[in-house]
Amino acid sequence: MALQVAPTGMLCEPIEKKVGNAVVRLQHGDLTALPVDAFVFYAREDLQIGSGYGTAIQTRGGASVKKELDTIGRIKMGGAVITGAGEMKARHIVHACGPKFQEPDIEKKLRQCVQSALAVADKAGIKTLAFPPMGTGFYGVPLDLCANTMLDCIKSFLQTVECLEEVIICVIDYRDYVPFRKKMESM
Amino acid sequence: MGMQRSYKCERVIERLHKKVNRQVVASLEACVHCGMCTDQCHYVLANPGDVTYMPSYKADKLRKFFKAHIDWTGRTFPWWVSARSLYTDQELEELKDTVFGKCTNCRRCSINCPMGVDMATFNRMARGLLVSVGVMPEGVAVVAKDQWEIGNQMGVLREDYIDTLTWMEEELQAEHNDPAIKIPIDKMDCDVVYSINPREVKYDPRTIADAALIFHVAGENWTMASEGWDMTNFGLFNGDDDLGGAVARRCYEATENLRGKKLVISECGHGYRSTRCEGQNWGQKDIPFAMESSVITMLRYIKEGRIKVDKTTNTEPVTYHDSCNNARSCGMTEEPRELLNLVCTDFREMHPNRAENFCCTGGGGAMSMSEYTPRRLKSAAVKAAQLKATGAKCVVTSCHNCVDGLTDLIRHYELGMKVTQLVNLVANALIIPERRHAAAVGGLEGYKILLADDEPDTLAYFETVLADHGAQVILATDGDEALDLARKEKPDLITLDLSMPGRDGGEVFEILRKDPVLSQTKVCIITGKPELRRLIYDRPVPPPEGYLTKPVSEDDLMLNVRKVLEHTHHES
Repeated sequence: MALQVAPTGMLCEPIEKKVGNAVVRLQHGDLTALPVDAFVFYAREDLQIGSGYGTAIQTRGGASVKKELDTIGRIKMGGAVITGAGEMKARHIVHACGPKFQEPDIEKKLRQCVQSALAVADKAGIKTLAFPPMGTGFYGVPLDLCANTMLDCIKSFLQTVECLEEVIICVIDYRDYVPFRKKMESM
Repeated sequence: MGMQRSYKCERVIERLHKKVNRQVVASLEACVHCGMCTDQCHYVLANPGDVTYMPSYKADKLRKFFKAHIDWTGRTFPWWVSARSLYTDQELEELKDTVFGKCTNCRRCSINCPMGVDMATFNRMARGLLVSVGVMPEGVAVVAKDQWEIGNQMGVLREDYIDTLTWMEEELQAEHNDPAIKIPIDKMDCDVVYSINPREVKYDPRTIADAALIFHVAGENWTMASEGWDMTNFGLFNGDDDLGGAVARRCYEATENLRGKKLVISECGHGYRSTRCEGQNWGQKDIPFAMESSVITMLRYIKEGRIKVDKTTNTEPVTYHDSCNNARSCGMTEEPRELLNLVCTDFREMHPNRAENFCCTGGGGAMSMSEYTPRRLKSAAVKAAQLKATGAKCVVTSCHNCVDGLTDLIRHYELGMKVTQLVNLVANALIIPERRHAAAVGGLEGYKILLADDEPDTLAYFETVLADHGAQVILATDGDEALDLARKEKPDLITLDLSMPGRDGGEVFEILRKDPVLSQTKVCIITGKPELRRLIYDRPVPPPEGYLTKPVSEDDLMLNVRKVLEHTHHES
């Protein structure tokens, strides 16, 4: 898969690690423009798409994603659901609900959310799945905690995986890249 | 027994200890309640009987819990110094109303405070505390999330950004019959990396074209970055230092990685302050290149003889509105005036001005907080009076936020003025060989355009312009008629006013997008109410192909109509 190299990504050298029969890859790029089987969207419990990656989903994907989500209604904290991705390059979107704004038990909820996303994707026959740094940035999940929790979950899940062949962590900038690189190097 | 404190209040107080620095402590301790700040605030002047708008009252809302948790007097004698902690989520909501809805962080009270109390600094800190627990106006959340995840605060996608730059380059080349005019992207080792406000891409691409023309005529070795191009920073408004740092670093890293020698920041008050003055601190980053406002760049080009201007092209009486961030926080007051006097024949000073100028009332992120719009427009009375007294037909400002804030208040108070920026005036005054008018006659032959607007004058104006260029024009005066005619005539393009009798433009737009036959029809929103943008962009349908804010010049109308009809068609 061609990497998107742009000025803010020049510092972010892609890194790969083999875990079982699968590959974990850290790379810079535009999550919602990746040609993957599915990417993960950090969802709200009410499944309203909102802005940020949601803006990209609605603009690039069209109205079908929201329509599908409307029929699902809500999800629980730590849960995940899968929809189509409309006209995007990805075929599916995994909507996974994680902790927001310093709420209690962040690590536990984040772990559940990442595990759910992986399980839902694997069950749906997804081979390549891309994650953003889950809940960092707007929702304030600390980057170090996110990197450690996500990569631990992914590593553990890939030991027993059925379909998943490649899990990508797609970062938007160098700030996000550093803690994931550190964790990847220690894996 | 003490009161039970909510979970969110606990987190706010916990973070307060981390956020309080020497500057905040000095300001929270120094107030002697002398009242000098009171009449400096545009909210107070518009609401003289309401103490809740007084800067010292607003500051006391923060000071109470600062005293309760940080200051020894409050911890020892809370009853004496009116110390009071925060306990309930309702109190957080009330605090939100004050720090987001009753202050634009304009700092006019601060410069008139004999004790040097910097209201905006601790008001921003309080916003940050609330944001950290998810308490903020919905519009603030929308913008902040876009900037975190898309990389700019208007959610402009990479392809739309590149597409707009390409479109502007093509327009410039056609307009000036000169294929050498370029808008370079990601060119290495340039003398100038030009960063912009995403508003320019989304609503005002002419400013990008004007800047590109100036760079071209000046012979500048310049580029724009494909990422990290947004020099605005919502972290300044929502008090989130992490966002402030992340956004600033993206901009710096893009410049650094392109090995640019200078980062030039287009006309935006908060963007200039954030990128030029605050970002290094938020982002904890030293930068190896120079930074400059485009106002100073343009002035330098004239002084160095790199561009020549003819001020007789701008004869309309103009006045200048100082952006709070440019003037009060960054001290940029004389350069824009020097430039204005070089490119305009009739510049009239507004009073008071420079650091004493009143806020446009759209600052501090206020334009994104629609729930406070009536309050904002009421507080704009003082600005409206200032503008009116100049007798100018046009107000110039070096800030995109101010452009929106001023446009809104000018409409509300029916001042009949237009708003523009220095880059537009400089580009208009540029002496360049063989200029050709953008709106050259022709080019729309074979296209059918439906105009939907309830204002007869607007319809007649658009009809004349578009018909003169060869288009077949159909008119609708309300939403239902627009839908009927769209189904019957199947136009190539529909221009849609947002505020119309019956079905508003937002409803019509969604129906069009969901109609299997009409869903691919190009739509250009033309509205006099930019605050209603979200009526369109929040809908669960693909966004419109074009967007214009009234008043619309012939050039802007033609540029946008051509872009929608020809360029998007060509791209697809």
